[in-house]
Amino acid sequence: MQANFQDQIAFYLTGRREGSKLKPLDGSYRPALFARVSDLASLRYDLPLILNVSGTADRVVLSLSHLIDEAVESLGQSADRDRIARHGYKLELELRKGSTANGSDDFGKMWSDAAARLSDNADPSMQDSAQKLWSHFDVAGTLVDADAEFPSRVVYHAWNAVQDTKAKRFRKKAERLLQKLRDILDAEAIGSAAGRAPDRLRAGVGTSFGTTFDFNAMSRILVEGKPGFELSGERRTRIKGLIEVLERQRFYPVGTNVDEPYSFAFFKCSDALDAYQERHDEAVELLRTLAIADLETKGEYRESVHDVLFDGFGSNGLDAEELAELPDYLVCTDAGTLDAVDTAQMVELLAAGLPIKVLVRTDDILEPSKVAEGHVALGLRARQLVDTAIGLTDVFVFQSGASHLFQMRESMIRALSYDGPALFSVFSGATGHNADMPPYLVAAAAMESRSFPALVYDPSAGADWATRLAVSDNPNLDDDWPVHSFAFEDETLQAGSENLAFTLADFMSMDDRFYGHYAIVEESYQSDGLIPISEALHADVTGLPSEVPYITLVDDKLTMQRAIIDDRLLLETRRCLTMWHSLQELGGIHNSHAERLLAKELKSRSAEAAANVGAAEVAQTEDAAVAEPTPAAVAPIDEPTAEDHGDDPYIESARCTTCNECTNLNDRMFAYNAEKQAYIADPDAGTFRQLVEAAEGCQVSIIHPGKPRNPKEPGIEDLIARAALFN
Amino acid sequence: MKVATQTISASECLLRMYDEHHEIEDYQKGVPRWCTGCGDNAILTAVQRLCRDEGLLPEKTVFVSGIGCSSRLPHYMNTYGFHGIHGRALPVAEGAKLARPDLDVFVNTGDGDCCSIGAAHWIHAVRYNMDLTMMLHDNQIYGLTKKQASPTSPIGTKSNTTPRGSYLEALNPLTVTLGISNVSFVAQVVDWIPEVLYQVISAAFHHKGFSFIRIVQRCPEWLPKQMDPWMHDPQRVLLLHHENGLEISPALAKVYTKMEEHDPANMNRAREIASSDDPIPVGILYRDDDIPCYEDVRHDSRLRTAEMVKNGLNAELDKFTVWPEGATHA
Repeated sequence: MQANFQDQIAFYLTGRREGSKLKPLDGSYRPALFARVSDLASLRYDLPLILNVSGTADRVVLSLSHLIDEAVESLGQSADRDRIARHGYKLELELRKGSTANGSDDFGKMWSDAAARLSDNADPSMQDSAQKLWSHFDVAGTLVDADAEFPSRVVYHAWNAVQDTKAKRFRKKAERLLQKLRDILDAEAIGSAAGRAPDRLRAGVGTSFGTTFDFNAMSRILVEGKPGFELSGERRTRIKGLIEVLERQRFYPVGTNVDEPYSFAFFKCSDALDAYQERHDEAVELLRTLAIADLETKGEYRESVHDVLFDGFGSNGLDAEELAELPDYLVCTDAGTLDAVDTAQMVELLAAGLPIKVLVRTDDILEPSKVAEGHVALGLRARQLVDTAIGLTDVFVFQSGASHLFQMRESMIRALSYDGPALFSVFSGATGHNADMPPYLVAAAAMESRSFPALVYDPSAGADWATRLAVSDNPNLDDDWPVHSFAFEDETLQAGSENLAFTLADFMSMDDRFYGHYAIVEESYQSDGLIPISEALHADVTGLPSEVPYITLVDDKLTMQRAIIDDRLLLETRRCLTMWHSLQELGGIHNSHAERLLAKELKSRSAEAAANVGAAEVAQTEDAAVAEPTPAAVAPIDEPTAEDHGDDPYIESARCTTCNECTNLNDRMFAYNAEKQAYIADPDAGTFRQLVEAAEGCQVSIIHPGKPRNPKEPGIEDLIARAALFN
Repeated sequence: MKVATQTISASECLLRMYDEHHEIEDYQKGVPRWCTGCGDNAILTAVQRLCRDEGLLPEKTVFVSGIGCSSRLPHYMNTYGFHGIHGRALPVAEGAKLARPDLDVFVNTGDGDCCSIGAAHWIHAVRYNMDLTMMLHDNQIYGLTKKQASPTSPIGTKSNTTPRGSYLEALNPLTVTLGISNVSFVAQVVDWIPEVLYQVISAAFHHKGFSFIRIVQRCPEWLPKQMDPWMHDPQRVLLLHHENGLEISPALAKVYTKMEEHDPANMNRAREIASSDDPIPVGILYRDDDIPCYEDVRHDSRLRTAEMVKNGLNAELDKFTVWPEGATHA
């Protein structure tokens, strides 16, 4: 036994399998946690997806399973619910098998074909169930399953849906502006002498009354009686120019424009950049046209002011808000074909803030490093781009495995709707090195093993990392690895279970390029010296190791096996974990700065608490009377003081109801201020009698006549007595 | 100002640099024909001040009225206006708002126009809760037709139709409005306190939904002295104030010392206050910002092109067309 363990130690240190007790790994083994998913087509899960072209933005991408569940749910408690549900699940299974085997096709066609196939064989009521379920779907589009092209299809479809929404918004605006601009020209034509000519008037009345009116007289009266309305030559030319630009543009063709609309989807960044530069002048012209047309239709365009401003429109570059009116560019690339020049160009494009969405599809994240033997790249190209893009701060970054595109569809749509550049890094799972493992499972395993974690960096969410970066789509977010309970039976058929972590080493065991780093240890030679890899990662080993890390696999008969791994693989797994820790920190989990600050705060609080205990003991021996807290000083309210008017007449203007009593009496003596409330404009502009009569007539009694300025005015004694009532 | 809630494009901002300032005179048109001393003048001044302070564009503002003294108000506003037929101010205003939600629409109506012939429209306008500001000029009498009792004339009011005094208790527009579903803003003011009149109209304008303001108004011609007891005794006016309602200025608080802190969200208390006619409650009785507006619920996003209007009209006219025998309906 001891000699065999030496072989295992030797394998761990050298990767060389000595002795017959260590068996090589091959495609018949899979990670133990995958024991139950040998036949994916028989399981219910997110895929296949329907790329829906009808309905709202939240229904752009739909899961077949969800769709059938929704339809069954909407049947309520009808008598045939169970039968329809059963048939629905059968159809779902049939479709899943079909899409796995034959690829994507029109959903409606696949649904009816599947119903026809199942009806022939078994149940005649199948067609009825299929029709009833279909009537609840309200979808149209293509059914797609995971393959190498899957990420491109999904992102392209969602991009198209977002662009459709933008196009509708733009067309609505452009058509409204065109309508109004044409209305201005029409109004001029109708208001002109030619528009009021007898023939035009006759045509306007129609044939029934063609002889009832004298159109010559009518024309004469109209032309002479009402001045014509004519646009200035500049304005007419300008409006015609605006209409011409709006009708001719090829960004979002409106009306009868027969020119081929521009395409905005590309496979290479350089092509997208060329197109952008080529169309730049047209884009500036179109945006300027929209701005001028907006002013023009409101009748607010002033040549003296706006001509200069619009002459220089766009000369300082277009900002994201302006560019958001026009379509976004989409570039779908394959990370495997990206060279250094492509990468540099892509980074430049993203850094320029152009409205461009770049999809980088990665098929192989375990590509061996070209410079260091045994070192794996872990999606190096995509990772470099993602790290750089996040560093650019205003690029929306979305990373996910193809398996999680459906779950993360909201973030994907948000990224596509973002008014700036966005980078999508998606792992397809179609590596070509995973025996018969479906791409969906490979992509899901990559996310589980932390080798291709999900992340969303949304610059529009806020100003700090906490709001911008989200890693919450990853499983077991707080832990090093996702840990699942694994149930089994032992030799005596007794049930048992153990918790298994899914690590990078488990993920790599599925890839034929790394079989050599594993060795299956027969059960009779397994010793206490074997430890799970999740524990080995944290072991501090100096000198010759006494333990060998292993992972748990199952063979094609579903028998559990332990596979030891070599030192190289342990290092790679540890490196993957370090990268995950780094991402966790950025996402606010186990953040080292926060944890240090927390420790410091806890320490200072415990010291403060200890000091308080000491102070309280001292206080008990003294007079413990505590003074009542002093109420905060209340600032005195400045009350308005009555202005001293002396003997002069005055009006409490703020209370004036603008009833015209006083101004009708003497509009030089009484006038309205800027608030349209009365005041005494000139006390010498009338008699004291008028002042007194105004005071008596004032509905709200706010006129105060004061003392007479002319003591010789007739009847002054009586007037003074009457004025006294109001002073 | 309401524009702030809309998207302001760069071109609009450019424009504002030149054209944003208006004087009260810019909103004045013609010389009012109202009697000297009429409370309608105070209301006219208050809305003109509001237009100036909010910088309302005359071409984006509409005053709609029915028939009566109050309903002459659109004539004196240099904005768009519609002097409608008796009792129908509200349907016209609703139509304008539905077709052009970008306009600020005000409705000026009187106690006869609103509470008698237009009562059905009043009830449903409250229920529709469209974003309109309605001012009920309530002088408790038909003035334009020279003194007939209106629904809000106090019992015993002698008029040309009730020479022995009116027989019925007056209708209370506040309690009626507060009893209608979807009510979202109810206030009462008196025309002789211009400061509060302005504040309430301003609050009503800023409220998103149907704002109902009853303005107790003097008629110096047909009911002179009717409101004097309240006008000359500040203790007979109850000022309602609250952090979500009106802020009373220190100067006003010195004169009108009878005050109550009333939360406009409290419907039960609002109904109690509304039932009182002495003292006259003045302020915002009720406000609920969460009631949906009809124009938002039913907004039609289709572009109203000339062709669409023409087709719509033709379709309506075709309903009444007698088709010759054998002809088919195109």
